[in-house]
Amino acid sequence: MISRAEVVRMAELAMLELNEVEIALYQADLNRFLQSGAELRKVNTQEVRLSSHVGRASSRMREDVIQRSLPQEKALRNGPCVVDGCFRVPRVMEDVR
Amino acid sequence: MTGYEIRIGLEIHVELATNTKIFCGCAVEFGAPPNSQCCPVCLGLPGSLPVLNRAAVEYAIRAALALNCTINLYSEFVRKNYFYPDLPKAFQITQDDKPLAVNGLLRYYLGDELMETQITRLHLEEEAGKSIHSGESIIGSEYTSVDYNRAGIPLAEIVTAPTMNSPAQARAFLEQLRLVLQYAGVSDCKMENGSLRCDANITVHPEPGMRVEKVEIKNLNSFRALERALAYEAERQVRVLERGGTVMPETRTWDERAQKTVRMRVKAGAPDYRYFPEPDLPPLELDAAWIEEIRSTLPELPLEKEARYQEAYGLSTYDTGVLVRAPQLAQVFEATVAQGRDPKFVANWVTGDYAHLARLGGTVSAEHFGQLLDMISSGAISAAQGKTVLQEMFARGVSPREFVAEMGFTVIADRDFLGKVIREVLTGHPELVERYCNGEDRLLGFFVGQVMKATNGRAEPRLVNKLLVEALAEGRNWQPRAE
Ligand SMILES: [Zn+2]
Repeated sequence: MISRAEVVRMAELAMLELNEVEIALYQADLNRFLQSGAELRKVNTQEVRLSSHVGRASSRMREDVIQRSLPQEKALRNGPCVVDGCFRVPRVMEDVR
Repeated sequence: MTGYEIRIGLEIHVELATNTKIFCGCAVEFGAPPNSQCCPVCLGLPGSLPVLNRAAVEYAIRAALALNCTINLYSEFVRKNYFYPDLPKAFQITQDDKPLAVNGLLRYYLGDELMETQITRLHLEEEAGKSIHSGESIIGSEYTSVDYNRAGIPLAEIVTAPTMNSPAQARAFLEQLRLVLQYAGVSDCKMENGSLRCDANITVHPEPGMRVEKVEIKNLNSFRALERALAYEAERQVRVLERGGTVMPETRTWDERAQKTVRMRVKAGAPDYRYFPEPDLPPLELDAAWIEEIRSTLPELPLEKEARYQEAYGLSTYDTGVLVRAPQLAQVFEATVAQGRDPKFVANWVTGDYAHLARLGGTVSAEHFGQLLDMISSGAISAAQGKTVLQEMFARGVSPREFVAEMGFTVIADRDFLGKVIREVLTGHPELVERYCNGEDRLLGFFVGQVMKATNGRAEPRLVNKLLVEALAEGRNWQPRAE
């Protein structure tokens, strides 16, 4: 079960501001996800190999050939604030990486 | 600092020298106008899908092979989640527990001592965009401007074991790593442009093996910064320990101006990144034959070349060091020696005048360079004239033979003429002659220099030497006299 504290922590990592109503809502939602996941435990998977991907597509690769990029103004079109060809965002206090 | 054991590990990011980004066809040219090399994929627009660049994989494999890694035929891409404006998707596509390559080894010299350091892993990932902070530092800026031209450039991340024991060793490692990657042709490795970047982690152990917390240092943009930041940090940690304190696990940044490391933030644990498999990219499955094909195209690497130069040509460690560190010099040296010229004579010229002029810009073909050396070694022109000719070859691309003919460069080997010049030089310096006669042999060099000067460097030096010794010996009581 996911606790209230875990929801708050996840919201923090996702940089989402949640109010008390939303915290309760997401806690319930996430727990429903976990319950659905728990259903899978009933399936016998002893013979099934662990996998990270659906299907068996193998890596398709492209050749290293330059394709036309978007014109600068089009690339910047969705930016809420654009100055001198750059997206401008509120100042970054700390390197969060 | 005695009694403490220092352990340093490095994490290096190298921009691979592809034409296009790792997951889209945008060009990766350095210095283009901001946000002019972007598309829906590298801007992280909804609905866009990444397709892996074959050349990025090939370069990463080359790098891994040059570092003696084992290539995993099966590797996976994952999403590393974090929020930062330079990361348009709010996650970075990278590799985690199934990286492209593991278990490498790099050998390098620290002074005269051959060292080796384990490479833990090498994996592929995408570069972030570039943040330009207004104001002086990250913390002081009012706003941040973002350019996504860099977002999506393919990176190889190389992680070493934390086994280096000094800042100087870490620097020697990084210098050799850069050289190996340049030889392998996978990156231009320009630290000043950010195409080679290095983070370091360092622990100081009061007793060998004692468990202590790790400190990471970022923003190391030059070899000097790496060495100085590590030295500063080692001393800082020792001071903390000597005061009876505990070193906290944290990330620090190198402040170039203040020449010290400053705290960035409390270190986030790995779970915060919430790694999970990248659903938009299938696992990377490689063909062993392709890897062998890539291996077969790797050139001779620096350490092998250094050993060969010393064995095959009998060159000094200094000469081999200079040649191996500058691949274009090594190339000219080999091409020139290949035609049967004396290796030491060639090495002297390559590491001396040629290297100096090449640093100023331009190049001279091995063929022309060889012709010049032949004229010097046969005595057709003097070494001093040779220097002038080489300068002109670099400056104007002249052919040495034509230039020498045009300028009428010849060596003066006329005994009578040189005898006369010598007499003038000796007459001009009676006190020095006397001191020479009283046993100051080293003054001979001065007289030779004066004769060369009087002949504009055209006199045949060996003959000048011989004639001078004779003239001076004629009388250790040689007296100036009128003609
Ligand atoms: Zn793109």
